[in-house]
Amino acid sequence: MSRKVIPFVVAGVLICLIMAVSGVFAFSGSVTAEKFGSEIAWSRPFTSAESMKVIDLTGDGNDDLFIQSPDNLTVLNETGEPIFGFGYKNMKTTLGDVNGDNIEDIIVFHVGTGPSVDVISKGQPRELANALSIGFPSRVAVIRFSSGPQIVLGDSSGNLLALGTDGQPRWDIKLGNEEIRGMDDVKVDGQTLLATASYDGSIAVIDGNGKALWRGGQEEIRRMRAFDLNGNGTSEIITGGEYGAFKIYNAADGSLLFETSLGQAVSEVRTVELDGDPSSREIVVGGKDGGVWAFKFDGTSASQIWNGSLSDKVTEIAGIDIDDDGKEEAVIGDESGKVAIFTGNGSRTNLPTRSDAIARIDVGKLGSERYVVVADLSEIQVNKVNFNSLPGFQYTPLIVGLIVSAVVLIIAAILASIPKKPEMKVSFQDTSRESLDAQRRMLKESIADVERLRKAGEVTGDAYLARLKRLRADLADNEAAFKKQGYNVKVETIQCPNCGGTLELGMDKCEYCGQVLLH
Amino acid sequence: MESMICSGIVLLFIALSAFSYLRRTARRNATAPAAGKKDFLPVYISIADKPDSIIRGMDRFVAQVNKTETAGNKWRSVPMIIFLAGLGLMIVDGGLFLLGYRSFVFIAGGVALWVAAIVMAVGLRRSDSKDFSPRYKGTKDILHTLRDDLRPNSTFTGHLDLTGSMLKTKIARETKDTRDRTTQYFRDEWLALKAKLYDGNVLRVSAIQRTKQRQPYWKRSRISGKMKQKPAKFKGSEQQLKVRIAVNPEVYKIIPNKTFRQGIEVGKYRVAQLNTEGGIIDVLASSPFEEIESEHILGFLQSVYSLLQREAL
Repeated sequence: MSRKVIPFVVAGVLICLIMAVSGVFAFSGSVTAEKFGSEIAWSRPFTSAESMKVIDLTGDGNDDLFIQSPDNLTVLNETGEPIFGFGYKNMKTTLGDVNGDNIEDIIVFHVGTGPSVDVISKGQPRELANALSIGFPSRVAVIRFSSGPQIVLGDSSGNLLALGTDGQPRWDIKLGNEEIRGMDDVKVDGQTLLATASYDGSIAVIDGNGKALWRGGQEEIRRMRAFDLNGNGTSEIITGGEYGAFKIYNAADGSLLFETSLGQAVSEVRTVELDGDPSSREIVVGGKDGGVWAFKFDGTSASQIWNGSLSDKVTEIAGIDIDDDGKEEAVIGDESGKVAIFTGNGSRTNLPTRSDAIARIDVGKLGSERYVVVADLSEIQVNKVNFNSLPGFQYTPLIVGLIVSAVVLIIAAILASIPKKPEMKVSFQDTSRESLDAQRRMLKESIADVERLRKAGEVTGDAYLARLKRLRADLADNEAAFKKQGYNVKVETIQCPNCGGTLELGMDKCEYCGQVLLH
Repeated sequence: MESMICSGIVLLFIALSAFSYLRRTARRNATAPAAGKKDFLPVYISIADKPDSIIRGMDRFVAQVNKTETAGNKWRSVPMIIFLAGLGLMIVDGGLFLLGYRSFVFIAGGVALWVAAIVMAVGLRRSDSKDFSPRYKGTKDILHTLRDDLRPNSTFTGHLDLTGSMLKTKIARETKDTRDRTTQYFRDEWLALKAKLYDGNVLRVSAIQRTKQRQPYWKRSRISGKMKQKPAKFKGSEQQLKVRIAVNPEVYKIIPNKTFRQGIEVGKYRVAQLNTEGGIIDVLASSPFEEIESEHILGFLQSVYSLLQREAL
């Protein structure tokens, strides 16, 4: 193939490859230029937030901001002004409609006259029960059993106590010997039950009479959540262990559906609609050392979608559809005050860092706008999170591919235009018989001269052979020139069939490579 | 973060190396051939032709080499331009990053352009040629000067070997000293010419460069006790000129004289051996100079001719 064509062939192959790769990137939609930003709408001091929710607690149809620390609970309006607030000692709270007015009430489990429960409805507190036979408050939940709603209290010694909406104890049960770490309502065949877990690894699903549907155990549990991940009417129970065990149980019978080890203590588990498919929800898990994992559950087992990391213990995970594409982004906070947004494919964007550890993150409509509310250990900040993307950016790989291809083509054209470098061995040979004879004589004299030098010890070894080889090759060329011109010549050289070196006719061994010659 | 810094340093090093390579490629034009430069175009010419044909052929060969080089030189700045274009593409991503977007598309394109620039620079450098040795032009001058002295329709035969004087194939012999250090003796017959002259004499000229070099060797340091390699040491070089004239007895007789005898200096050469027996003049001259200009060789040949006296017709 001509050396002028080869660069273009190579360039053509390269251009095909470049454009194919560019096309794959452009049409797969994997190339985007997107950014998330946030603007602070308002902020106010609040110390040691433990629970936070954007919800209507006054019944005016507008969402309020509920926030609670161990000793104080406050409800703020859309502009951050307090609507009401109360102080309690060592309180745990939950939200639920206890009095049946279709407005969420605040249920406070605290240490008052002994372990007590108060219900705050539309800002009006009412003591529901006191001097209860349960230990130090750990968790509280309102569960809507088929027999009616019950307030279930959990203490730091693994005891559970259920109260009716009238404050009367209904049942009690000892789950384990350590703090209750999770209480959530679960659906089993359409029936609402209580799923609960204690730090010592005990798990149980309990009905409205305090009877355990099943009980189980595993390594120490830091987090327990229950969701109907695939919408089949039976919930799945997700646990995160002290030593990294991440498990999914079937709430109906406690069978293990999925387990894996994440390598670090699980500090938070939430569901986030990452893929926009409403028939299933994805699970985002945060670790004590900053690890972040996203899992997808298909009804029988889970698989990891992506993983990432923050620089410190993950303290909160919230799912928010920031870019209005029907898919939620995971907004994740850590103990160092960092807040990051992870998209459905795991790419990360940082929001402004806070000075204290992130305690809670929630999203909701305050007034006419949707806000992301972030509470750290000293302040609540209400942010308007925005999303920007460059339109048509996904096709930039094609533009870049075209630029690179054009350059490759130019280079090929330039390289093809450069003439071939001439051979460095040149021969100026007159083809007249007299001239060829003269050259032949000179070459023979030179060969004789080299032989004489070798005998005199002036040239030895490789130098002798190399010089002889060159002169014999010139002699062979001379013979070829004779033949080409049609002159008679007595052939005096042969070629070694092994190394190709030129030898004198009659030699039975190649001087250069040692090959035995049979002729 | 540490891994990112390390990767950044490695990438910066690669980018600077590429930039430096491309800058050297672009500046090849600006560097004039240094005087006394040792690294010349390694060319071997087999001579068996009439002087005019040889001279024309040598000029044509120079023109071919120059054509290749000129064709490459025209585009020498292009790889650097492509490199800068790649940098420009990367800056687009840098700008996007400053605006808060994260994109690696233009960086990838920039890297691809850098690779293309390096490939092109390598291709252009392949078209580079070293400078022709002064011996090339010197030989041409000798042939040009002697062309009128050549018998009509006869040719010069021989060779011009400019492939290098210290090649492995030119090691004449090796010696070892008492400390087991090897010294190599090189013999480079860079010019060999034979010609039948107009006056019936047959002239043979050989120009030989003899070089001596001590090979690298390992030596234990007296202070630290460590083994250290000593580099090769150039121990000197000399030029020899062998002239042999088979004299036409019908035209000349050889008359020894005082102006050309053993031990006398002629130009850069000193006559080491002189033998005029049997109607043949054999002269061996040597010179401590590393490079001998053509006029000294021609001057020496003219001096050798002073031994000849025309027969009375």
